[in-house]
Amino acid sequence: MRRHLFILEFALSGLCRRRYKNLALLVAYSLLIFIISSILFLTHALKREAELLLQSSPEITVQRLMAGRHALVPVDWVDTIVSIPGVIDASPRYWGYYYDPFTGANFTVLGVRSSEFPLKGREDLDPEDCLIGSGVSETGLLRTGDSLVMVDPEGIARPFRVAGVFSTSSSILTNDLVVLKEETIKRFFQIPEGYAVDLVVRVANPSEIDTIAKKIKEKIPSSRPITRTEILRTYESLFDWRSGMVLSMFIGALLAFFIFAWDKATGLSAEERREIGVLKAIGWDSSDIMEMKFWEGLVLSSLAYLTGTITGFVHVFMLGAPLLESALKGWSVLFPSLKLRPVIEVYQLMVLLFLTVVPYMAATIAPSWKAAMTDPEEVIRS
Amino acid sequence: MAIVLEDVTKIYNPGQPNEVHAVKGVSLRIGKNEVVILKGPSGSGKTSLLSIIGCMSRPTSGRVLVNGRDVAKLPERFLTEIRRQRCGFIFQQFNLLRGITVKENIMLPLYPAGVSLGEIKRRTEEVMDLLQISHRANFRVEQLSGGEQQRVAIARALVNDPEIVLADEPTAHLDTHLSEEFLRMISEIKGAGKTVVIATHDPLVYESSLVDRVIHMRDGIILEEGQ
Repeated sequence: MRRHLFILEFALSGLCRRRYKNLALLVAYSLLIFIISSILFLTHALKREAELLLQSSPEITVQRLMAGRHALVPVDWVDTIVSIPGVIDASPRYWGYYYDPFTGANFTVLGVRSSEFPLKGREDLDPEDCLIGSGVSETGLLRTGDSLVMVDPEGIARPFRVAGVFSTSSSILTNDLVVLKEETIKRFFQIPEGYAVDLVVRVANPSEIDTIAKKIKEKIPSSRPITRTEILRTYESLFDWRSGMVLSMFIGALLAFFIFAWDKATGLSAEERREIGVLKAIGWDSSDIMEMKFWEGLVLSSLAYLTGTITGFVHVFMLGAPLLESALKGWSVLFPSLKLRPVIEVYQLMVLLFLTVVPYMAATIAPSWKAAMTDPEEVIRS
Repeated sequence: MAIVLEDVTKIYNPGQPNEVHAVKGVSLRIGKNEVVILKGPSGSGKTSLLSIIGCMSRPTSGRVLVNGRDVAKLPERFLTEIRRQRCGFIFQQFNLLRGITVKENIMLPLYPAGVSLGEIKRRTEEVMDLLQISHRANFRVEQLSGGEQQRVAIARALVNDPEIVLADEPTAHLDTHLSEEFLRMISEIKGAGKTVVIATHDPLVYESSLVDRVIHMRDGIILEEGQ
């Protein structure tokens, strides 16, 4: 034990002796881990938000296609759908997007029936009330009791009193949301009586979702049933594709790092080779030298790993990933800005570890092993 | 410690265009408490022979007997053990590790020996006192003069209390005064009952009265041995 402690101490002093070289390596190494961890954290957090969003979404959403475009859905489709065995309930949904020219933000406006969003101390929303997401609140600097002004299709500005601001487990779910009473939204968007934007269908047995979706399509050929799993798959492939795209942008950086690491590790400097030879000559075993190099590599790579991961975490979850936001969030730039909830899994950390620390350790130890196995005289002569 | 070499050869890069026969069939016996000089011009094979004697390198053929045991074909860890316990090296360019202190350089051979920190400190202070470098203990080696660096190198060679001290061209970078100082220290080492083998072509060293035997080498063979 004593011997290992001495070797560890000497390894640490070795790092200090070549402090400028190791510091440069540490900075480059940490930067790379910072970039990769930021991409992983952001992608994963967005996927997690999407999953949460879908957890609360209906099993099947029914839209109507007319000339290949979405059209308003007749509410009387509800009766046809409910008659399908396995369907618990079908109901019309009223919602739309609203572009706010004052802030440049896009809001999702949703209509709710009475008591769907109960408020503390109140039974229902008033027709001129609204509930808003935290993003809307921040963008418009709105608090409870303020007025949110939206302009209807006829160009008339309509004020809505903010009755409350959402705080839910999913930020993405309510971030850009403006909730109005169902009757209010129908009036605001001028949705004709007897029509809805889409229908939501609840199913008794989740394993029957695909079958029921098929039956809806058979019974109402102009309908377009979308299941929750289809949406989830789309989200996942979208985020995977985007993170892959960004990752590929950094492959160059990754390669540069590996060349740097390989060069640093394989190209043991004449000084380092001489040191190994001297240590062997004065009685250090090959295993002692390997242990010393192992500690050196482990300390350096762990430090870089910690620095890179922590800065990646701060970048994504505390600063809102300003360096990657536009690349990963894509064309549907989320505005009002989205604050992601910190979600980190051991799996992600392990992936990072295997991508960065393990190759570095291997690249460090292999050449040292080669030098350590040579006769000390040859090492000194070379 | 008695060391016997029997028909030892050393070939570098065997079978390649740059093959070098550094040592050719050398047989030699070095007794306890002897001061032996390996003398000869550059390329005569004295450093290669010194490395073989000190178990830093294996012969290509022949036997190397340390206290009657052939070590030439022992696994690496046994050679390391012999170097750690029985040999002390003084290199031509001192080969001290830059960036660490005098004291840390001297302690290095003791780290893998498994002795306690107290014992390491005690032995280190002892050899520093012996070589009169205690006042430089916390200086980094690159801050020392050539003579002081050599004292540190000798202290490092002695700290594990070896039976044999091997020195390769120890005076190559020293002026006459420091070379004489080196011989004085060798005299003390001999006085402590240790064996000393020095590879050199410096007349000041091989003509010294403390030398027991001079082995004259050329082209990898022993030309003559003299008292």
